[in-house]
Amino acid sequence: MALLQNILTQAFITVIAVCGVYVLTGLTGMFSLGQAAFMAIGSYASGLLVIKAGIPVPVAILIAVVLAMVVGYLIGYPVVRLRRDYISLVTLGFGEAIAALLNRMTTLTGGASGLTGIPRCIGLEVATISAVAAIALVAFFKTSKYGRQCIALRGDELAAKAMGINVTKIKMIAFILSVALTSYSGCLYSFYMSYVDPSGFGWKKSADWVIMVFFGGVNSLTGSTLGAFILSALPQFLRDLQNYRYVIYAVLVILIINFKPSGLLGEWELTIGNIKKSIRRIGRKNKKEER
Amino acid sequence: MKKKLLAILMTMAMTFSLAACGSDSGETKEDSGGGKETSGDEIVIGCLQDITGSTSGLGISVQKGAQAAVDEINENGGIDGKDVVLKTYDTKGDVTEAVNAYITAVTVDEVSLVVGPPVANIANAIKETSESYDTPVMGFALDPTCQLKEDGSPYKNMFCFQPSATSQGQIMAAFALENELKTFGVLYNQENSYSVSLLDPFLDELKANDITVDENLIVAYGAADADYKTLLEPLVSAGVDAIYCPNYTQQLVAIKTAADELGYEGKLVCGLDAAPAFNTTYGGDCSNVYYINNINTDDPTTIEMSDEVADDVSAVNKYFLGYDVVMIAKECIEEAGLEDADALRDTIANVNGYKGLTGTITMDPETHMPKDMSMFMYTYDNQTPVMLGEFGI
Amino acid sequence: MSIQVLINGLATGAVYALIATGFALIFNVLKFSNFSHGATMTVAAFVAYFLVSAKGYGIVPTLIIGALAGGLVAFCGEFIGFRRILKNHSSATYFFVSSITLGTLYEGLVTIKVGSNFFNYPQFFEKSTVELGKVVISTTDLMMLIISTVALGILAFVIQKTRIGRALRAVSFDRDTAQLMGIDSTRIIQFTFVVSGVIAGLAGVFLGIKYTLYPSLGSLVVKGFIASVIGGLGSLTGAVIGAVLLGLVETLLLSIMGSGYSTIATFAIMLVFLLLRPRGIAGSNVQEKA
Repeated sequence: MALLQNILTQAFITVIAVCGVYVLTGLTGMFSLGQAAFMAIGSYASGLLVIKAGIPVPVAILIAVVLAMVVGYLIGYPVVRLRRDYISLVTLGFGEAIAALLNRMTTLTGGASGLTGIPRCIGLEVATISAVAAIALVAFFKTSKYGRQCIALRGDELAAKAMGINVTKIKMIAFILSVALTSYSGCLYSFYMSYVDPSGFGWKKSADWVIMVFFGGVNSLTGSTLGAFILSALPQFLRDLQNYRYVIYAVLVILIINFKPSGLLGEWELTIGNIKKSIRRIGRKNKKEER
Repeated sequence: MKKKLLAILMTMAMTFSLAACGSDSGETKEDSGGGKETSGDEIVIGCLQDITGSTSGLGISVQKGAQAAVDEINENGGIDGKDVVLKTYDTKGDVTEAVNAYITAVTVDEVSLVVGPPVANIANAIKETSESYDTPVMGFALDPTCQLKEDGSPYKNMFCFQPSATSQGQIMAAFALENELKTFGVLYNQENSYSVSLLDPFLDELKANDITVDENLIVAYGAADADYKTLLEPLVSAGVDAIYCPNYTQQLVAIKTAADELGYEGKLVCGLDAAPAFNTTYGGDCSNVYYINNINTDDPTTIEMSDEVADDVSAVNKYFLGYDVVMIAKECIEEAGLEDADALRDTIANVNGYKGLTGTITMDPETHMPKDMSMFMYTYDNQTPVMLGEFGI
Repeated sequence: MSIQVLINGLATGAVYALIATGFALIFNVLKFSNFSHGATMTVAAFVAYFLVSAKGYGIVPTLIIGALAGGLVAFCGEFIGFRRILKNHSSATYFFVSSITLGTLYEGLVTIKVGSNFFNYPQFFEKSTVELGKVVISTTDLMMLIISTVALGILAFVIQKTRIGRALRAVSFDRDTAQLMGIDSTRIIQFTFVVSGVIAGLAGVFLGIKYTLYPSLGSLVVKGFIASVIGGLGSLTGAVIGAVLLGLVETLLLSIMGSGYSTIATFAIMLVFLLLRPRGIAGSNVQEKA
């Protein structure tokens, strides 16, 4: 049971981060290879605030998220004004720079030995509630005015501009929202693991998140969430396969991208309306068969 | 639409059923309570190592050594008549994976004890989690913080079975001074906790002997900048007697190559990682390399065993660490049994004068690390290791 | 700044240039950043190690086998990872994801084979340094500089002067029109991948010699990426200039402010550069079409 609890908690923490990536990549079409750095900022900042300044955990989380958003704004300023390919480059460089900084600031962060002594106070309950809240927030964002503008500019930036959408502003909003979600997941991570070290926040982690979004369906929040959940939990059950895990993982994703490019769920979202529709269809089909 | 709904339901069902399978055996543990009643005639020992990832060379070596010890124990009738099974868990050099692996080992497979990693970050990651369970982790994390809480008391389950970073650094410094080396430069990996943890003890020991190393000659590097030549340049042009390089073998090979290309003529003082297979991997003249080792290669048993495994183990000393620790575990289990976790931990913490292949091990119950353990210093004659003597603090 | 630092920078820049060109070639034709390039380098370098240099052959056979292996891997990679996406006319983002996944796959396969141990090429030269007048330069660095320059020269010739090079440029300009004009664009894309793979193979062997050989060696592809963006995405000349500049700047910063802060400074310089000149040094031929 402890194992299941552990895996679920970690999966939910990942789900929150991937919600952020969905806003950025799925809704707005920007690729960040430095998203994990915001997770690092969240976890280090909240951890340090609690250890060094003795601030209560919820307040520390709040401050850490705000701090990450400020950093996100500074990085976002050039990011939203650049070509899309450059976005991945700038965020990538940013991620590497943050990792280097964490390693260098030994007195504060513990350097390569990592930051120890963070209180462990987050469990499955908090992770679950947070994940649900994050999904709800993103779902709300998607259907809001901003979300629709994001989708519009993802499709054609020039046309969106012509329609009077303030492209830089919308991109910035999406970027900040995604940073907030990712850094929040970082906070949960540090209070769950009680130990963080700089090695786990490289560009590979950010790339993993992007892959999760595409696995489940880049146009569907339900799909992205599911993708994150499956791809973060599945490797734990394939533990015995050791080295083969990554190969299987890669083959799976390549198959999906080649044969079902819109991901597992395509554009489909899990809404009450859609479920009703599906049920009605099944009913209709059954009636037909009866005749 | 229907297909989509079906897909979502099926994948969820799949994940959960998998999850259920995974946790089934876990639940039985909850029922059986704290004591580890190993079912049947087997004693399961977990082996928590980096089998993949950047430090897998070390992890695999420990694992092979532990396996060799287990095989030997089983050939001689097992522990108290029970066969020993070694189960390996890959930590992938990732702290999150390490926690998953530890929990799997302890709750699903109910191992009796865990052979821990030689990597500080992994030990750091699991130490907090290990507090909630009763399974000792017999590892090799040099860094004292892996075993000790902030208040100085030890984590009840965490043990280290090789001399701490502090003593290793001190031994290397004392050795260097004895060999008339006067001026030093340092090149260390600031992104690697092992490398960092060996830095200060060395410098402190030098300072105790009135030698301070110039700030500018202590050079740090990270994974991103592997241009060792540029980093070594100031050290070489300062003409230091020796460069202290507490780095993994892989970096050492590149550093040695770069130093040669710069025409460096002083010595390189290295940690355990310059032990063979460093010489063969590097492939050139290694006569200016000094290194520290746990094992005495003049000892006949050691020679025989290392000859046997030399081909498929990349870090022979780690192999012996793995071997020794399983042998110690055997003695402790025979003495304390497996029913009472506290008794077993006590026995491990009080191991006294165990004569292993990696030296005589006496544990300090206060720190959960060995006391006064001596190590061996070596150099190379071209490519052949030459033992220079045993050193202790 | 000493001459030594300059030489180190140039040698690093030469290897970056090889990576960046391979990267830029694919971007030139398919308009996406091929992240599997790094793992292609790794696979090729390992193949060359096991087939050739571990058996005691010299540097020339190693480089040849490395290049061939790189070409072969890229050829297969195109077929597995990109052919269908191309046919489906999916958006460029799919190439991106597919390339990252393909990279993971190669790295995984290498790890299965070698268990993430590291290897070191045997020492290829009797003398590790060469004296050029007053300057001492390492033999491997000199060799890398020369071979990189020759390889890039040949590439430039092929692209500018030959029939297939013209076809490649046509496809890069507009795939559909080129197809209508009777160019088999699938063939050309295949060809581009093979060429970029060959370059990757060379770069892989060089990286292996310089930094030892390990499964995640390919993550150095990031440097090639940065260089090709600084140079202007898709421009080959730009990529080379960007790479040499990057090599020099990195080495210089490293010798001035040490590790860690130099990474941060490199990032800051890159950011300022992109804001001032977003098209890169040479870039003008890549049109933004959202």
